[in-house]
Amino acid sequence: MHIPDGFLDAKTALATGALSAAGLGFALREVRRELPPRRVPLLGLAAAFLFAAQMVNFPVAGGTSGHLVGGALVAALLGPAAAVVVVATVLIVQCFLFADGGVTALGANIFNMGLVATLSGYVVYSLATRLLPGLRGRVAALAFAGWCSTVLASIVCAGQLAWSGTVAWSVGFPAMAGVHALIGLGEGIVSALVYLAIARTRPDLLPEHDAPAARPGRIREFVVLGLLATLGLALFVAPFACPWPDGLDSVAARLGFEHKAMGALLPAPVADYQMPGLASAGVATAAAGVVGALVVFGLAVGFSRLVVQKPPSGAADHA
Amino acid sequence: MTAIFPSSPAHGGRLFRWPASAKMAVALALIFGTALVPAGWTAWFEVVALLLVAVMVLGKIPPGPVLRRLLALSPFVAGVALAAAWHPGGTLGWKITALRSGLCLATVILLAQTTPFGEMLAVLRRARVPALLVTTIALMQRYLFVLADETERMGRARASRTFTRSRWFAWRTAATVVGQLFVRASERAEHVYDAMCARGWR
Amino acid sequence: MIPAIAIQDLGYAYPDGTVALHGITLSVAPGECVGLLGPNGSGKSTLLRHLNGILPERLTGAGGAVAVHGEPITSANVAAVRRQLGLMFQDPDDQLFCATVREDVGFGPQQLGLSPGEAATRVQQALEEVGLVHLSHRPPHHLSNGEKRRACLAGVLACAPSILVLDEPTSGLDPRGRRELIALLRGIAATKLIATHDLELVVELCPRSIILDGGRIIADGATTELLADEALMLAHGLERPHILQHRHPHEAKG
Repeated sequence: MHIPDGFLDAKTALATGALSAAGLGFALREVRRELPPRRVPLLGLAAAFLFAAQMVNFPVAGGTSGHLVGGALVAALLGPAAAVVVVATVLIVQCFLFADGGVTALGANIFNMGLVATLSGYVVYSLATRLLPGLRGRVAALAFAGWCSTVLASIVCAGQLAWSGTVAWSVGFPAMAGVHALIGLGEGIVSALVYLAIARTRPDLLPEHDAPAARPGRIREFVVLGLLATLGLALFVAPFACPWPDGLDSVAARLGFEHKAMGALLPAPVADYQMPGLASAGVATAAAGVVGALVVFGLAVGFSRLVVQKPPSGAADHA
Repeated sequence: MTAIFPSSPAHGGRLFRWPASAKMAVALALIFGTALVPAGWTAWFEVVALLLVAVMVLGKIPPGPVLRRLLALSPFVAGVALAAAWHPGGTLGWKITALRSGLCLATVILLAQTTPFGEMLAVLRRARVPALLVTTIALMQRYLFVLADETERMGRARASRTFTRSRWFAWRTAATVVGQLFVRASERAEHVYDAMCARGWR
Repeated sequence: MIPAIAIQDLGYAYPDGTVALHGITLSVAPGECVGLLGPNGSGKSTLLRHLNGILPERLTGAGGAVAVHGEPITSANVAAVRRQLGLMFQDPDDQLFCATVREDVGFGPQQLGLSPGEAATRVQQALEEVGLVHLSHRPPHHLSNGEKRRACLAGVLACAPSILVLDEPTSGLDPRGRRELIALLRGIAATKLIATHDLELVVELCPRSIILDGGRIIADGATTELLADEALMLAHGLERPHILQHRHPHEAKG
């Protein structure tokens, strides 16, 4: 999801830059406040870890393979503020050292993957672990959080591309959200499996290992970072979620080249994110989103039952 | 896999000795300009392209690796294809987008080839970028090669003991490798902290 | 004469409860070169980490069992202790955490608060001492194992400590790297405590040796005596080094 240079216009680059700078600045302050000195090198090492982890192949089909992105995973392992710093660091180094992601798009990339993905991943993970207890619960929660974070980040990305006039929303949103709804499944599964592997070998490294009293309160981080993410969503997604044809679409309709947008390759049960039978396009899209998310949540819980064997009765699984 | 890593800017000719801040400032100006100037300013693109060629000549940078990096970056190629299919501006629109991306990419690659990373970090420090972020970036750059090596070694060890073609098994073992990476990274972080303290860090 | 290092009845247990050190008592005189031997898991690295205050995790104000140049290590004087006692860790990658060799060697002087000019002089001297001036601009991952070890040593020497503590300095080195490092160590004037499996190194450099096993000191005496005692060596996971195997038993004593 790294946006290259040239795909975003000046106003989008500026807006995302400002939001990311604010978010990163706040995250850095929070980390400095909360992180004990002996864990400072862990930020850099975790960034190196994330970079190396992104190189590991997960074979998909034929010769292709998928890769972990890791926003939700890092948030579950290190907390949201530290995760923001870690992912932002990875993106900065990837941009300048490996030319992966544009320099003008760095703000957008940090916003999408460093703020939206990590924060939404963390929020979903936290909420889901309250519903589902134990190690199995955390695995399911992370699987679901990984999926949510991927899909949400891709939607915001589509919004940015549409706002810049590079790819129309009516084309970008279904393409990005659709593809990432699939990719997100892989992300969720991999994040959960990695968390499980760590829980089995070194559970002391997981934040849940500390007594609840010793865990720092995260309310401030939720509120501030959440506000920033919401601002971004308001800016980049809300205008397009409106069912009225957007500016580009209406221009396209008037100039007669709307037909150039390609039709769907496969008939989809919920075509164009509209629940069949619902009148208003906006509500229909939202309903489709909710149903999709619930299905994935169910899948995540089922998946966790598959991979986490319940310990023999009597043994507490507090790993 | 080591092919994707930029070669150390050991060469670079005369350009190597210019101050890093100047090179970074020029590169940033070129990138921002190229990405944001109106599409009609074709003269700008021509000038930038010539400038980049001049840098490659002055810096004695072989064009082969640069071109290969340009072509090998699949997200970029996929992005261009996407833009090609759906760009509201039609075919001219996506060609301009591709040109912008390509020129900016080449600029970043050449910057990395002519400027040692340590000097870029020093510029960041002078620019009052928060120390915690600079330290994190520095440590990441230092240890990504170490961890990438460990990843390669674990991958080879894993492959040597894999006798099934089951994709699920491959995913589980790959996830174990990643899990191990995190454990090693955490342990190494503790050791680095001890080593920093041993030489007086507070 | 105030010992350089004085340890009195030191004990230590890991957070999970495993006891790593039992009642360690030893002292090292200024200028001595002492070898610390023992099988894996004997507690050597844990012991070394107590010498510059990394362990115990929480230093008290009163000071514990370890004293450097007569001063017990406390939370207040630990920085001063680290100026005087340089510790070289087992894995050079842990210790070389900067972007280039020169920057890394300069880390110590910089933390000590030296002026940039003075720091640069110290760095240059340290690099010359270990013979790495020509590689000073390299990033650490472009160095061989031997070069990395020498860079670590330079980083420690740049702080000009009076006591040098080394954890497995020759492990993983090829014969040439090993030779170079041993020659370097021989030339350094500081008090030295070397934890190692390299028994030949101990015979060459350390007139005195201490054997550690199961967190306890088993033996402390002249190297040639201890290492020639085959039964003792085998009982503690070591063996008589080749360099002593061809000497007549009574030649090995004294």
